[in-house]
Amino acid sequence: MSEAYDRGPVEDFGRWREFRAGMWAWIFHKFTGWVLVGYLFTHIAVLSTATASDPTVYTSTLQGLEELLIVRILEVGLLAVAVFHILNGVRLLFVDLGLGLENQDKSFYASLVVTAAITVASVPTFLAGV
Amino acid sequence: MSEHYSSFDRGGPRWLLQRLTAVFLIGVLAFHFFLLHFVNHAADITFMGTQTRMSQVGYFATMVMFLITATFHGVNGVYNALVNQGLSGTRKRAVGAVLTLASIALIAQGIRVAIAMTDLL
Repeated sequence: MSEAYDRGPVEDFGRWREFRAGMWAWIFHKFTGWVLVGYLFTHIAVLSTATASDPTVYTSTLQGLEELLIVRILEVGLLAVAVFHILNGVRLLFVDLGLGLENQDKSFYASLVVTAAITVASVPTFLAGV
Repeated sequence: MSEHYSSFDRGGPRWLLQRLTAVFLIGVLAFHFFLLHFVNHAADITFMGTQTRMSQVGYFATMVMFLITATFHGVNGVYNALVNQGLSGTRKRAVGAVLTLASIALIAQGIRVAIAMTDLL
């Protein structure tokens, strides 16, 4: 483990050049968390079209959104955010259990690499038929 | 632990519930994304297809649990992030109340939507 010394609060973003892996992981996890909770409220709002008396409202709303290229691109972004949050979340659970703390920087880099690989591999699926 | 950062007081009930919901959400979020983007393409989703899935008791129960745990995990995360940024006193209580009301509204509306999607009820 790296030597212990006070680097100041991670909230002081002006020091970002000094940030190390653990601090970037903290920031990325927070950012992806904000995106996901924001999406959750949006998602329920869109799915609320299912409460319309005419079921075609739901179908046409979802299919109409899926016809937009920007929606497909945002979905790729959402996948990237979700995959990173999941992988880094697994990493955090292990760190909380005291497992792999000495390699927490490597597991953060692994989370980034695997997120990038899954995101790139998913692009053809998300953009199909648009 | 110079490299360990968390917005939570370790060992508290919020900290524990955040982790317990995380374990559930890891599996269910991955399942949800895979099922509705790779098995069933999002562009092909229809009300009839949604109703077929939501009319299976296990799937319906999983989605309702997904809604409740995701809302708790997300809103609890936001609350702790704000407290971590220095929120305190009356503002902390006001933010807590607003987030609690938003959570209750989201879960209520989500369950209303889930019921509209199923023919179980």
